[in-house]
Order: sequence, then structure tokens, then C-alpha cells
Amino acid sequence: MKLFRLLSFLLAWAVFACNPETPKEPLGEYETGVLIANEGAFGANDGEVFHYVPESETLKTNVFETVNGRPFAGLLQAIVEQQGRMYLVANTGKVEIVNPKDFKSIGAVTADLVQPRSLASSRDKLYIADWGPYDANFNNPDSYVAVVNSLDGGSVAKKIKVPRRPESVFADENFLYIANQAAGKLTIVSTSTDAIVGSEDVLGAPEKLQIINGRLFLYARDADRIYFHEINRGNQRILSTRTFTLSDATADFAKGERDDIYVITSSGWPDYNDAVAKINLETEKIIKADWHVGTGFYGIGFDPNTKQVFVANHAGFTGNGTVSILDANGQETKKLNVGRGPNGFFMK
Amino acid sequence: MVGVSVKAILSIACALLSMAALHGRQLSEVLETDTLRSHVIFNHEDSSSAKPDTLELAAVQVWAGSWKKFAVGQRLLTYSKDDMREFEGLALAEFLQARTGLFLRQNGPDMLASLTMRGTSAGHNAVFWNGLPINSPSLGQTDFSVLPTGGFEEVEVHFGGGAALFGTDAIGGSLHLKTQPKFDQGHQARANSLVGSFGRWNWGAEYAFSNQRIATRSKAYRTSAQNDFHFRDLSKPGTPIVNQPHAQVKQWGFLQDFAWKVRGNQLIGSAFWWNETDRQIPPIMGSNTQDVQQDKSLRWAMDYTRFWANTSLHVKTGWVRDDQTFNIATRNLTDQLLGSADVDWSLASKLFFKSGIRHTHVIGKLSTYMARENRTEVYHASRYQPSERFSLSINLRQLLYDGTWAPFAPSLGFEWAFGKTETQGLTGLGSVSRAFKVPTLNDRFWIPGGNPDILPEESWSGEFGLAHRFSKNKTTLSQTFTRFRMSVDNWIIWLPKGNIWSPENIRAVQNDGFEYHAHFEQILTRDWKFELSGNYAWTRALQTAAATENDPGLGKQLPYTPVHKLQGLASISKGNLRIFANQQWVSERFVTTDNLSTVAPYYLLDLGLQSQWHWGPLAGQAGFQINNLLDTEYQIMRLRAMPGRNYQFNLSIAL
Repeated sequence: MKLFRLLSFLLAWAVFACNPETPKEPLGEYETGVLIANEGAFGANDGEVFHYVPESETLKTNVFETVNGRPFAGLLQAIVEQQGRMYLVANTGKVEIVNPKDFKSIGAVTADLVQPRSLASSRDKLYIADWGPYDANFNNPDSYVAVVNSLDGGSVAKKIKVPRRPESVFADENFLYIANQAAGKLTIVSTSTDAIVGSEDVLGAPEKLQIINGRLFLYARDADRIYFHEINRGNQRILSTRTFTLSDATADFAKGERDDIYVITSSGWPDYNDAVAKINLETEKIIKADWHVGTGFYGIGFDPNTKQVFVANHAGFTGNGTVSILDANGQETKKLNVGRGPNGFFMK
Repeated sequence: MVGVSVKAILSIACALLSMAALHGRQLSEVLETDTLRSHVIFNHEDSSSAKPDTLELAAVQVWAGSWKKFAVGQRLLTYSKDDMREFEGLALAEFLQARTGLFLRQNGPDMLASLTMRGTSAGHNAVFWNGLPINSPSLGQTDFSVLPTGGFEEVEVHFGGGAALFGTDAIGGSLHLKTQPKFDQGHQARANSLVGSFGRWNWGAEYAFSNQRIATRSKAYRTSAQNDFHFRDLSKPGTPIVNQPHAQVKQWGFLQDFAWKVRGNQLIGSAFWWNETDRQIPPIMGSNTQDVQQDKSLRWAMDYTRFWANTSLHVKTGWVRDDQTFNIATRNLTDQLLGSADVDWSLASKLFFKSGIRHTHVIGKLSTYMARENRTEVYHASRYQPSERFSLSINLRQLLYDGTWAPFAPSLGFEWAFGKTETQGLTGLGSVSRAFKVPTLNDRFWIPGGNPDILPEESWSGEFGLAHRFSKNKTTLSQTFTRFRMSVDNWIIWLPKGNIWSPENIRAVQNDGFEYHAHFEQILTRDWKFELSGNYAWTRALQTAAATENDPGLGKQLPYTPVHKLQGLASISKGNLRIFANQQWVSERFVTTDNLSTVAPYYLLDLGLQSQWHWGPLAGQAGFQINNLLDTEYQIMRLRAMPGRNYQFNLSIAL
């Protein structure tokens, strides 16, 4: 009997030890698909997150309120996933933190924020880019980055004064990179000392910091051109700039397949013709300036799984908006009715 | 349309010429004639009882020419000073929300409150104070939270399209706030105070003197409240109970009325009202704004009236200034200078006419633009009353603003009393009218985005109703049922155009519904009396034209327009003591045009005790009230906190 037990044990050990498939924790409901950020309307604080699953073509509305039993109650500016947590940044003065698997609330930062725009984390700290209050001329001379000493939220421990309108932040182990939209600067903060260690003027108004194919880029724009400034993360300086002659570009773009980039443009007064322009970052060519045209474009995303482009349409903010799903030729294949003022996507 | 307008102008000119042949007569005789005219207006509901709708000699209509007799076939509600007694010092918004079937979009106690009538928008109601239009010409609407009930003694609510009688904005209805100088009353003094929860303290003091020729009244008031009530903050994890931050309000004002009977057949009146409100604007849940707003308003009206046989001439001039400062730096100043003249006359005691002209000069000095505008309008109202049982009215108005013709506004109405017995009577009534709203200064001139080509909003509306009155022994019942339907076109909404918002005439709305009002009174014994009054409104306001491509709001109910509102007031009184219970239920409101999200229905119950007292030469009232007795957690507007159970005590002393 003892020999039998020993043989059984050895057999079981051999089977499981040799199995290359280690048991996996099943994915949570919101760890696949597309999260749609609905900004909400000014004065109504009705921002929300919708969840779309392309495979089943199902759309779940008001995810935050459904899961947590209370409204999001803010204008949703950005969705950021960092270190196993999902941060929902409301430009009305708070950051909600949820579990990416099930969207259950983990914590929040609800005090000492004015107009948070984006967020990054480094080590155990959160860095929240905040425009700060408006002055009498609707400028933001007192912009800052708020530091919170816990990834699960809590109180603001420190405010780092930065140039006007920090719109986007990116952090690695040692440095925080800040795109200061109104000041036209790239600012570097040491995450060891939480002090500014560098600042650099850039061409265009800096809007967004994003890793593209493993390299850190700062996207900026002016009336006639857009700029992708590549940042050398070794010395925290701008390494090179790729310039595209593209008029009326907005602040939003999405990375497509390989080196393709989709940028929203808008002609403005009086026609307000909006378009999605497709460009190639490596060849520095505009593939098609009017790849997709329409009006009311307010956010864009690219789903790497389905190769589809998602374009958000605010539809006037008086009611809820829509999302157009486009194929590789820019043709609409599906339209979703979503929340108020959809402004972006988080592709899982 | 221009051809019709020219005809209307010509008819008014002829009417003005015809009055020259009329002779003078004493004021008292004219008033008697007015009394007779008013008796047959049966549809007009008094809020508290079935009082006859007559003019008293002591309460001459000083400020506004009588328009009531031409509002034939349309629903009217009148609230007196006594009806508003428990709301002394509070905003008109609080009274209308609690005691009528009207719904106001309130952001909180003492905060922005806009009225929706019959499913129209906040700017689709004309508001008058002593005959002066007081809607802001830049915003096109009135904030009912900065109109304290102390600023007037009577409120008339006119439902439905009323442009023919009142001009621009009266699409869903109009409100008429009035002070009423009384002659031959001697010296009178009165002081009142209201103390309530959340740091509320209102007080007012007034002195009045009148003899047979002169009437004067001076009044000052002050209101303050912390509004730091508890509420559940839904924006924070754990939804903690917190105090409402940043919601302090201070308000003060001064009124001066003066009326003078000149030579027995002439009357001069002047009314002045200064009101200032300083407010902290509490942030919506989830925000941390620290906005402050100051609203200063000046209203002054001067009237001259002369009476002849069957004729009266009424000349009016007025000045309305609104000075709003938001967050200290943003200042919006508007002035309206108004002059009008109209003639009231009658023929053979069966035909009654009113013709006139009004000119308004508007000056706007807004934070982003300056604008001036002239508005001239001519109007003619006529009423045919062949018998006491039947009357018919046709009213016309044409307005010209800055060289642009507003839609010609006619109205037609009838009333027919039938089935009259010793104890009860029925009146059928109906009307059809066209109304319009001149685009606001902001709509046309705001920089950036103002649209100088924007068209006036316009509507066609119709209503019919049945009024029933019953009175036997110690029981009185009056009730009115009104069915209405309205179509509003060229509805203006602001849409984002890139980074700029701009107004467009792209929405159309179909409104329909019905309203029921009842008042029941039963005298139980010599001292005991039971009263029950209530209002119910069923309102559909459906968007019928797409505002944008694939507009999900098409065919849906407009946001913040409840389908149902039910309000009831029950009271029992013995001698000078009265106990009352007031309740209101408001159905869910949609937040967005696509009707996907809602704000929950709510039910509120208030209980109160009111006592009249006399002590030597002094008399007065004292009252105690518990509002929101059930401590209901509710929001009128999404994420805007409202107070739970709260208390108030009021006291007035008159000499």
C-alpha cells in the first residue's frame, strides 16, 4: 500500500510538474473589450464608463454606477491603468480608483484637487496633473502636480508647482514627464525628490505623452502642424521631432497598426467639418487627411484586437453621444449609442 | 404675415382715433363698470376660495392696465398675500414649488430656480412686476430664487400662450407679480420675521399711509441663511453624510409704492423695488467649485391713468436693471427702458377694447459684448360679451425688434356659462393662440458663438376646459379641468461647434397635457372649518425634430420635465387657529434628451400650525412649520442636494 501511495504521488508530481500550463486566474468582466469614457456635461457631472465587447457586440452602460451603487458624479477626463488599478480622472476635482477586473471601488482622491487632467504612478506614489484654478482672465497660473503617497488614493501630500496647464503625465521609475499645454513646455520631475529637475520649450502646444512602439513621444500641435517629439529617457531631453503639415488638428490621436496614427481634425468656424487623418509616424507622411469625415468628433481609439477604429461623437452634449466603429478603410460598420460627451477609449 | 400685421396696426390706429369723442367721468363710476365686466370671468381660479373676481374701490389696479377681461378662455390662477403668508421672506420659487402644480428646476434652497410651464423651457414664461417685463433680456428668463415673496402682494399665473396680450416669452404662460396700494386705510405698520433651520433668518418691516387721495407704502426686508444642511454625498466612496458647503445666502431689498388720485378721474402711481442677493453657489456633488454670485435688480414703474365715460387712457413708463456679477470678475449688466400707452374703451356694454403701443429700449453690457436694441409693439384686444353667459375675445399683437418682425401673435378665446342652478354652475372655455419669443441678446450677440441670424421661437397652442362651482349650505367646491396642446417650433438650443457653442433654431417640441385644480371647503360647526385644495398636472413634452444627425432625443420627453406633479393642501381651522398639511409628489425627470437616465420621483410632506392673534391695538400671526416631515432624501436636479426635515417659525405684528 505504501509503495502504491508513493507511486501515485510520483505519478501525480510527474504529470503536474511537467505540465507547462500553469493555472491562470480567469479574466475579470472588464479586463477585455473596450472601455468608453463618457465625459458628461458641464454642470451636470454625469460622466460614466460604458463597456463594449466587440466579439459579442454587447454594450454595458453606466458601469461605475451599476457596480458601485452610486453615480460617478464628475466629468470624466481620462481612464488610466497603473499597477493593477484603474484610475478614473474627473476634471471636476477627484480621482476614483477601481479594480480593473470588476470595477469595484478601491479608493479615491476627493480633496485638494481643482481640475485634474491626467495621472501617472511611480513606485508607491500617484502623480495627478492638475490645471489648478482659473484666474480672472481664464488662465491657470497656479497649475500643479498633486502627489498622493498611496496607490489606493487618500489625501494629497504635496503639490509641485508646474508651468501652466499640465495636460498629460508619464512616469517611469525615476522621472515624471509633464506636458504643459499652455506654457508650451516639457517639464521633468524627479520621483525621488518630487522636485522639478528639467524643463524644455517645445514646438506646438504639448497635449499628450504616449509610448509608441516602445518609445516615448510627446504629441503637440499648432494651427497648421502636428509634432511628435521623441524623448530620450536617458537624459530626459527631446531627441528628435517629426513634423506633419496637418491643419486644425485636435488634442486627440490614437495609435493604429504598426506606425499608423489617427488624428482628429476640425475645420472650426463656420463649417465645423471634422475628420480623422491617417498618418505614418516612421515615413512622416500623411496617408489620408480625410480618412473619415463627419462632425462632432470628440475622441478616438484603436482596438488592436479587432483592428477597428472607434470615433466618439458628442452629438451636441444636449443628449447622449454616439460611437462609430470604422473598418480599415474608414467606413462605419457599426454605431453605438453611448453616454453624454464620449471623449475617449481604453482598449483592454 | 406682414399683410396681416399691417391690418392689425391700421385697426389699432382707427381705435385710437375713435376714443377722442368720449367724455370724462368720475373714477368711482369707472370702477363700478370694471366690477361688472369682471363678474363673468368664470374660469379664473382663486387659490384659496371661490371669491368673486371683482375690483374693490380701495384696491385700484394702479400699475397695469386691466388685461384680465381679455384673457377669455385661458386658465388663470391668483394667489394673494394671505396665501403666501407662510413663505414670507422666502423665494417665490419655494411657494410655487410647494403650493402649486407648477414645477421649477431648482438647484437647491435659494439657488437657481427656473420655471417650466406646460413642458416649455425656462425662457418660455413671461414674468411681469407691476406690468414691467422682468425677464433678463440677455438670458431670456427669470431666476425665481431671487424674487422674494415680500416684493409683491399678489401673483397671477396665466397658463398657455399669451403673446397677444403680453408680448415676447409668453409661450408656456406668464406670471404677474403685483403690489396693490389701497386708499383710505390710514396709518399702518407691520413687521414680520421668520426663523428657520440652517441659519435662516428673514425679517421685514413696512409702513403705509393712505387717505382718499394718496396711498404710500415703504417696505424693507433682509434674508440670510447658511443652508448648511446635511445630505448624502453620492460622489464619495461610502456615500458619507456631509454638510452642504459654500451655500450661504444674503438678500435685502426696499420697496416704495405711491399712488395719487388726481381730480377724481386721474390716477398717478409709482412703484420702486431694489433687491440685492449675494450667494455662494454650492458645488454640484463631485465638484469643489467655490463660485459666488451677486444679483442686483432695480425695478421702477410709473403709471398715469385717466378715465372718461366708458374709456380710460393708461400711460406707463418703467426701468428694469439687472446687474449680475459672477465670481467678481464677470459682470453682466442689462437695462430695459419701457414706455407704453393704451386705451380701454367699450361700446354698448357688449364690446370692450384695449389698444396700445409699447416701446422698449434694451441696453446690454455683458462680459463679452455690448448691444442695444429697440423693440416696438402694437396690440389690440377685444371682447364681445352679448350676455352674462357668453363672451368671446380676439387679441392681436405685432412686435418689431431691430428691424425684424416677430411672428404676428393672435389669440381667440371663448367662455360659455351653462347649467347654472341655485347651487352650481358650469363654464366651458377654450382658446387658440400663437406666441413667440424674441431671441435673447446672448443668442444673437454673445462672443464667441452668438448667431445674429437666429429666428424667434414660436408656438401655436390651444386649450379647452370646464370649470365647475358648487355651493350649498356649508359646502363649497370649485374645480377646473383644462386640456392643452402646444407645438413649439424654431426652439433655440446651443450646440458645440468645435470649441465654440452657438445657438440654432433646430428643435421642435410637441406639448400636451391636462391640469386639474380643485378647492373644497366645508364648514363643520360655527367655529370649525375644513379646507382641501389641490393641483394635478400631466405634461408631455416630446421632441419632434432632430437637433443633430441621429438625434437620440427624437420622440422623447424633454429633460427635467416631469410627466406628473400632484400637490395638495389640507387644513382644519377653529377660530384663529389653523393646522395644515401640504404634500407634493413629482414623478421622475429625465436627465438627458435620450431619456436614458433619470432622477428619482419624490414625495414631500409639510405640517404647520398658524394662529392669528390680537392684543390691544396690535394684531398679527404666528406660525410653526415642519418641512419635509418624513426626512425624504431627494434631488430635484441630479446631484444637487436638497434639505431633509427642517423647521421654521414665523411671526408678524401689525399696528
